[in-house]
Amino acid sequence: MLFQEIVICGCGNPLFADDGFGPEVVEELKKISLPETVKVIDAGLGGPHFIFTLLDQSEEPVKKIIIIDIADFGGNPGEITLLTPYDLPPGKYRDAHSWDLAEPLHRIKDKIDITIIGCQPKRVTAPDLEIGLSDEVASAIPRTVQLVLKLLEEHYGTTIANIREEREETGGGKTTTAGCNS
Amino acid sequence: MSKVVEISPTTRHEGHSKLVLKVNDEGIIERGDWISITPVRGLEKLCIGKTMHQAPKISSRVCGICPIAHTLAGIGAMEASIGCEIPQDAYLLRLILQCANKLHSIALHDILALPDMYIPGTETKINPFTAEEPVRTVAKRIQRLREIGQTIGEIAGGEPVHPSNPRVGGMYYNISPQAKQKLFDLAKEALPMAIAQMDFMNAVFKNFEKRETVTVGKTTVDMPKEFGYHNQGYMAVDSIFQSSSLDFDPKWDPNRWTDVTPWDWYMGECEVSLEDPDYPIGGTSKIGTKAWPQMQACTSIPLYDGQPVEVGPRARMVTFKNFDHKGAMGQNIAREMEYPDCLYTIIDALDALDCNGSVLADEIPQGDGSLGWNANEAPRGTDVHLAKVKDGRVQMYNLLVPTTWNFPTCSRALEGAPWQLAEVIVRAYDPCVSCATHMLVVDENKKIIAQKLVQ
Repeated sequence: MLFQEIVICGCGNPLFADDGFGPEVVEELKKISLPETVKVIDAGLGGPHFIFTLLDQSEEPVKKIIIIDIADFGGNPGEITLLTPYDLPPGKYRDAHSWDLAEPLHRIKDKIDITIIGCQPKRVTAPDLEIGLSDEVASAIPRTVQLVLKLLEEHYGTTIANIREEREETGGGKTTTAGCNS
Repeated sequence: MSKVVEISPTTRHEGHSKLVLKVNDEGIIERGDWISITPVRGLEKLCIGKTMHQAPKISSRVCGICPIAHTLAGIGAMEASIGCEIPQDAYLLRLILQCANKLHSIALHDILALPDMYIPGTETKINPFTAEEPVRTVAKRIQRLREIGQTIGEIAGGEPVHPSNPRVGGMYYNISPQAKQKLFDLAKEALPMAIAQMDFMNAVFKNFEKRETVTVGKTTVDMPKEFGYHNQGYMAVDSIFQSSSLDFDPKWDPNRWTDVTPWDWYMGECEVSLEDPDYPIGGTSKIGTKAWPQMQACTSIPLYDGQPVEVGPRARMVTFKNFDHKGAMGQNIAREMEYPDCLYTIIDALDALDCNGSVLADEIPQGDGSLGWNANEAPRGTDVHLAKVKDGRVQMYNLLVPTTWNFPTCSRALEGAPWQLAEVIVRAYDPCVSCATHMLVVDENKKIIAQKLVQ
């Protein structure tokens, strides 16, 4: 199935230093066993035309999308923030390249719950190529993974704390979540 | 007295490019220069010293539209350099991935091309995003075809955007019988839709070609009889997939390819002397704007047998299927005719695929620095990757991507058309400018003499 109930998309280009943040987070998320109704996608630089413009009519109805990307919101490098499509300026569709994040997301925002996790980059080298994240942005990966898991918990009406209490009550062992120090 | 008009940036295609056009008093293009203005990146340099497994992954990130073509051509070039033959089942999976990519790409191009066209028999331009019929049904069909293309690509390629399954030596894994059945079902669902979509689009394109006049912005211009014609040759290596230097009978020859600088090809410095503020999306450049295509172009000019050539769906159709429809609409129609080919090929490849077969070569040599190349017939045309691999490391890597070949050819195809229709001709080539942008100039001995001239 191309999509699931929840789609998590890491966007960006690893060839432009910190712009590779989204795909790097996806790589970490893929190491975690997530519910079958969650689809994690390395959208790279094809998100708008390969994914966002296909979500509203997909075979499996998508309820929620979490987009992970860099965003210049004036914070310190490595700082992460939650954004909604309303925080993005409405884009205008001009061509496949300018089919940026904003335009297709504004088209689907009333049907699908959209959350954008933005990380403040330190260095985006475009058009020059450089592979590798800055230390500050790399250190945001575990925090972002944790935030994604928290958003999933909220969606399913449960929390890691609840599960832990439940297990302890029933005599189960302690649970830990990869990538989190919860 | 010629005037100069500039359309910058051109729209509804991938990447950033512009048109500098010399027109006569009637507004007919006497000379057209279509140039890339996407900044140069220097990908080939980055890949030197990387492992042969890394380089194709890097080239897959050049652009958000062509990752599959670059992955397959890159891996093919590495295999050609080290002399590695892949198992048949790996080849079949790659073929399925190639066709899935093309299926999605043609459907995406339909969205980009439709707003120039009219609903046949009316004066109504088509808005692919409208909720009204008959366009709504067509838009839904396009979306479903794109979704099927993406899904088939994900199953065969491992990821929906940047494929993770192909690797040097074959594929990481074969697919299960259940996945094979799913692909069959998807391809059979898509086939009648693709044929219906092809028929619809071709009716629209033929209707456009036969029109007396076309309206752009607030201007109505006469439709030329030979719209988008050129006298350049065609280059294609296969009707659907690829050729490589490992083939018994390679269909591309690096000795027939040369590169020249934009300085040798494009117009010199000029000043815009004609403007139209009503031209769609912000009007054309203002009178007095300086244009210098020679210096502003971000691509080299590749020549085959000393001439620019056209690559793409029409080149494939002309070379392998006796297609003879010229001009911009011929290019569009040839692209639509590839719809059923993609699906018939997927079905045939699935028939031949053994899900229990090995998809990885028994031996993967590390390379001795020999030149190898792979020419992949990507949706936009021949995507040639050349590589030298020694001890598993890349010594040389070069990409000659479809739109790079088409820039000079399409520039010639602009002549004779009203300048207001220049973008319609450009869009017929379904350009991907990000891929095309890199600067590497070699002399007749293939020695690099200039890189990244434009900053």
